[in-house]
Amino acid sequence: MSPKSAGLAKKMGHTDVRVMLAGIPGWKKAGKSVTASEKFVQTGNIVLVDLRSKEEYEAGHIPKAHNIPLASLAAKEDDIPIKAPVVVYADSFVEAQQGYNLMKKWGVKTGSIWPGGVTSWTDKGNKLATGPTPASISWVRKLGKNEVGLAEFKKAMDDGANQLILDVRTTDEVKDGVLKNSKHIPLDEIEKRVGELPKGKEMLIHCSTGARAEMAKAALDKAGLKSRVLIADVECEQGKCEITD
Amino acid sequence: MHNKPLRRWIPFLLITGLLAGGPSLSGSPAFAADPAPQAAAQDANAFTGKITGKSNKAKTISIEVKGKNEFLKFDDKTKGMDHAVEGEAAIVKFELRGADRFATSVEPKLAALPAGVTEMKVDELAKLIAMGPEEGKYVLVDSRPAARYHEGHIPTAISLPDTVHAETGDAYLPADARLKKTTLIFYCGGFT
Repeated sequence: MSPKSAGLAKKMGHTDVRVMLAGIPGWKKAGKSVTASEKFVQTGNIVLVDLRSKEEYEAGHIPKAHNIPLASLAAKEDDIPIKAPVVVYADSFVEAQQGYNLMKKWGVKTGSIWPGGVTSWTDKGNKLATGPTPASISWVRKLGKNEVGLAEFKKAMDDGANQLILDVRTTDEVKDGVLKNSKHIPLDEIEKRVGELPKGKEMLIHCSTGARAEMAKAALDKAGLKSRVLIADVECEQGKCEITD
Repeated sequence: MHNKPLRRWIPFLLITGLLAGGPSLSGSPAFAADPAPQAAAQDANAFTGKITGKSNKAKTISIEVKGKNEFLKFDDKTKGMDHAVEGEAAIVKFELRGADRFATSVEPKLAALPAGVTEMKVDELAKLIAMGPEEGKYVLVDSRPAARYHEGHIPTAISLPDTVHAETGDAYLPADARLKKTTLIFYCGGFT
């Protein structure tokens, strides 16, 4: 990490070496924005938002961008998928920062700014697209490598031949309902009871959001059991459970 | 977003369950037999390691200590929960309540700086960035893996992951930095 690199630089003879210990979390906490790279804007699975006017947008915008003029952004909270990495750009950094701050307030997890707008985009040799903005913003999350998709997860609820669903919610939560083909072990008992799980099957772990499932996966990994996690909302009421992405 | 009434009850039920010595706690002697807490107890009731997860619903955090995941409960009185961020190094102090370890405070574990290297605070860096690398005579280096750099870095930073830096030394630094004419500033994902 950074202190290690600083130590190396010192050894290489650099005299003026500093470390910004607060790092990215400290920078964001101070209300400052971060910058997306050119490659990320070109190829990342992002939602790109052009904050300029409709006329400016239609005359030339960064490909894939959606147009939401800054003045109307406040009314568009529901259009922005907060789990998506959202990159914004405008004519000025101040405007881009305003858009970034607003989305941050909405809970967008990985927001960033493409600085310099269309000018810096074309300066780097990239092309612009023209015409009206797409009708709506659609964004599909790509699965992480330890993650099971909702479709496959639902299949495992009907056919448990090779997979078993592991429910790591608390005993109280489970009283409101459980999923088919699932075994319940609360997260804090996983390490003690890992022996109860069948060796030959893959465990598909769920909780109510995915956070605890990820913690449980670490314990299963250590025990040498194959598993993936479901990152989705599982809500149960009166015996019926609903799963939403 | 969509808060059904049920959800608001869960933390209450959970805490009630714990206070009443709920079903999951019936096997309390198992804790004493578990060698792990004793091994980690060398520093009286504190874990130092990397935070590996946090669940607000189960009021649980997990921290990796010597390659093993330790689970702790927390509540509204736990201090410094801001620092319980996945992937960050932290010191978690706790007390035993029945069979459960309850986190009383979470503090970031501050990295020790190599000799001759000083810290740069956010404000000082922000002033330099406002000037730009040329006028401010600095090179800002993002030491995190490249993928993290791409999705969001501090303005004007270059990407040089610590692993790459360790193998290539000065090779990927801008010319002015190679000639040691600039301030070299490193940052990464926080207090690690």
